[in-house]
Amino acid sequence: MRRRSFLKAAGAGGVSALLAGCAGTGGEETTTEASGDATETTATTHGTTAGGESPTLTVGTYGSFVDAPSSSPGPWLKEAFESEFDATLAWQTPDSGVNYYIERALRGVESGADLYVGLDAQMLVRIDENLDGALFSPAAGLSRLGDVNEQLNFDPQGRAVPYDTGYISLVYDETYGDGDSEFVAPETFDGLLESEYAGALLAQNPTSSATGQAFLLHTIDAKGEDGYLDYWASLKENDVRVLGNWEDSYNAYSNGEAPMVVSYSTDQVYAAESGEDMVRHQIRFLNDQGYANPEGMAPFADASNPDLAAEFMDFMLRPEVQAEIAVRNVQFPATTTAELPEEFAQYAREPPEAVTFSYDRLQNNLSDWTDAWAREFASK
Amino acid sequence: MSRASVRRAARALEQRLLTLVAALTAVVLLVLFYYPVATVFADAVLADGRLTIEPIAAVLTSEFYLVDIIWFTAKQAFYSTLASLALGLPAAWLFARFEFRGRETLRSLTILPFVMPSIMVAIGFVATFGRNGTLNRALSAVGLPPVELLFTLEAIVVAHAFYNAPLVARVVTAAWESVDARTVETARSLGASPRRAFRDVVLPQLLPSIGVGATLTFIFTFASFPIVLALGGFQLATIEVFVYSRVRDLAYAEAASLAVVETAVSITLTAVYLRYEASQRSAGGAANPLPRRAVLPSDWTPKSALRTVGIAGYALVVGLVFVVPIASMIIASVTGGDGGFTLANYAFLAERQATGASFQVKPLPAILNSLAFAAGTLVIAVPMGVTMAVLTTRRYRGRGLIDVLSMAPFAVSGIVVGLGLLRGLVFGVDVLGTRIRVTGALAIVAAHAVGAYPFVTRNVAPLFARLDGRLVESARSLGATRTRALVDIELPLVWTGVVAGAAFAVAISIGEFDSTIILAEGAGSYTMPVAVERFLGRRLGPATAMGCLLLLVTSASFLVVDRFGGRWGEL
Repeated sequence: MRRRSFLKAAGAGGVSALLAGCAGTGGEETTTEASGDATETTATTHGTTAGGESPTLTVGTYGSFVDAPSSSPGPWLKEAFESEFDATLAWQTPDSGVNYYIERALRGVESGADLYVGLDAQMLVRIDENLDGALFSPAAGLSRLGDVNEQLNFDPQGRAVPYDTGYISLVYDETYGDGDSEFVAPETFDGLLESEYAGALLAQNPTSSATGQAFLLHTIDAKGEDGYLDYWASLKENDVRVLGNWEDSYNAYSNGEAPMVVSYSTDQVYAAESGEDMVRHQIRFLNDQGYANPEGMAPFADASNPDLAAEFMDFMLRPEVQAEIAVRNVQFPATTTAELPEEFAQYAREPPEAVTFSYDRLQNNLSDWTDAWAREFASK
Repeated sequence: MSRASVRRAARALEQRLLTLVAALTAVVLLVLFYYPVATVFADAVLADGRLTIEPIAAVLTSEFYLVDIIWFTAKQAFYSTLASLALGLPAAWLFARFEFRGRETLRSLTILPFVMPSIMVAIGFVATFGRNGTLNRALSAVGLPPVELLFTLEAIVVAHAFYNAPLVARVVTAAWESVDARTVETARSLGASPRRAFRDVVLPQLLPSIGVGATLTFIFTFASFPIVLALGGFQLATIEVFVYSRVRDLAYAEAASLAVVETAVSITLTAVYLRYEASQRSAGGAANPLPRRAVLPSDWTPKSALRTVGIAGYALVVGLVFVVPIASMIIASVTGGDGGFTLANYAFLAERQATGASFQVKPLPAILNSLAFAAGTLVIAVPMGVTMAVLTTRRYRGRGLIDVLSMAPFAVSGIVVGLGLLRGLVFGVDVLGTRIRVTGALAIVAAHAVGAYPFVTRNVAPLFARLDGRLVESARSLGATRTRALVDIELPLVWTGVVAGAAFAVAISIGEFDSTIILAEGAGSYTMPVAVERFLGRRLGPATAMGCLLLLVTSASFLVVDRFGGRWGEL
């Protein structure tokens, strides 16, 4: 708490100074250093509303939302939105994701964007635990809010509106082993502890990876706050491999280092696209459950185009846009009105039961749970 | 202006050039390193604006941090250093003392590990040392049991040797090639055996470079992070893993405290090494390198046969640790989802180049940016590094401190520098009512130069220290300015070190990721490693294809740097 109020006090001075600095430039982001490298992205930054030109909507998001090698919704969304609205959509993809905007707020610098796409409950908890002021505020007058599947709403304060959701599950390889019998993943969390699954599971670091974090939360849900550390001690005993990120672990999985990896339940959609054999991409929902991780969007409290941001959010919730986002981001739609293509529905698997921690459960617990896990698992 | 006054002005500039470059170096360091880092380290010692030791004390009294994390980190760094020396020193011996086809090219290519993104190394290592990897297939082909190497401390140590043995090899080769053959001849003519001549004459001239290789390897592997998690796993977490996860969780006081402890260890080690380096004042003189011999001996004696067998065995190990992983990456880039040959990943790069949106990463601009930034880094880091080398080989009060401070960019966590650049430069500093932000190409080049110039200094300083001070004194008594003496007398004598340092500078720039992505202004100033990271997806193919382009472009530029640098030195 003491640290936070210090940062806030330090930040206040920064804000007024910043306003003074920006006064002459019409609120545009400018770089004082002559870089000689003006790119299109910098040319179309935030808040050019003056002079009757069409406004620019600046949207912060994570890199793969606009620039994944397979497919990403970003380019399609920009084109569709700009063709209908008299506005320019500029994507911002800071490397540290939403932390970049939290950091700006902590240092008393304006957010520089209108809304953020790609929030989850865990991020909201982190924001609310570290910032005294509001980083995001609820959008006013959304007409399609009612279309969102109620169970996916993860923000009790109504700032973040879900636009898609995914389930974290195990992906396993039936062909793994000596070839006498096919490999079958266990059906329960307890099954993972059996000796036949020693060294058989690849997971990810929950302190840096979304899938790793969801899997950890799923174990806490299954084993309880008091039981999950013991469960992980047994998993460690059974040689579970917790690697740095999803790419590391999926690479090891693809090379046959282990027959199971923590991943998304939409794994087969990718596998079908690149012509891989489905027996090597089987989905297992442990305890018949998948951990749901809905993704949301929210306008920044200091957005310079809040109305345009709200229009964009409504646009994101349209049935046809929802279907495009789902297919291109390889996730499930967040609304009840979206219609998915058959091919996608065939390979994207949904769990019998979705589990997820509410914002209230995560608040004041998330970092403690994760820290305790890290200390347990990294003890030599 | 008359010709005489022009000459006077030129001379005045010449006289002050060293001071000028030193001052500029200080400014660049202050803006791009010390100030940004201070904004982060402040979190470790300040609470409510008041000084506190609480966060650091909390780390230092935590048994978990001290034993499970910091001690373990030091232990793996120590093993990694031993492995890097074991793998790097024979290479230096081969490069410096033998003549064989492709020696120059091979030596240029030893820089490659330096620029490789960790995900590429992880892909190559899994394909080489994994359960179904090349090593195990070779073992089972000759009827040996498989080895389980991945996700162990050994895997981390080998991967660290992959990154750092080339560093040891390059630094030591440069020193070995500048050993004056006449000193050995003198010893031999006085009756010393070859072994004795090596121990008493050659080795003392190599030790500073071996020391620098070992020290840097320890410091780098002490701060290692992505490769530890990719090939070892979280159960082998190092201190930098926790710095990263605490930063990500916005627990800045704890993150900064861990980073302060980490830096303190690295700085102390650097200081110890620099004291040692300063105490080495062995005889040396004009470059008159030792003769080279053929790898295959002309007459077979038991001794020469043993040497040849040793070299062959070493080549086998090098093949396994360096060649097979790199070859595996190239193979991965042309392998499809069904396991067959495909050019789809390269087709993806071509398509992205042709049709990619402005906010997406395109391969060609990434390549051009990397090359431009590398050239810029070279131009800035070499003068900075040489100047610091001159300053730190003089004797004056406070020299030790300057020496250590100038090496600090090596000792501070990359995560801390990245966060500091974000806070200090990207968000901007308020100066007289105007917010000054420093981003874009110039800032990236300057940040690369900060990370690169200590390599120049460390390659050049030991050679400077060996120069006969009377050379410069004679030149100056004959009327040469300090700069003139440096350029005309000293630089030609330490040229191998300058070229070695320049190569590192280029490699550091091409391989740099953390500062680049923070200072970049959108997709337009992204570099090759950033493109590799951005092309990672469900399929690793596109990223590996971009990684192979990175290898290709880097190899080509290194062949140019080394050839050109070598020629220039001979002029």
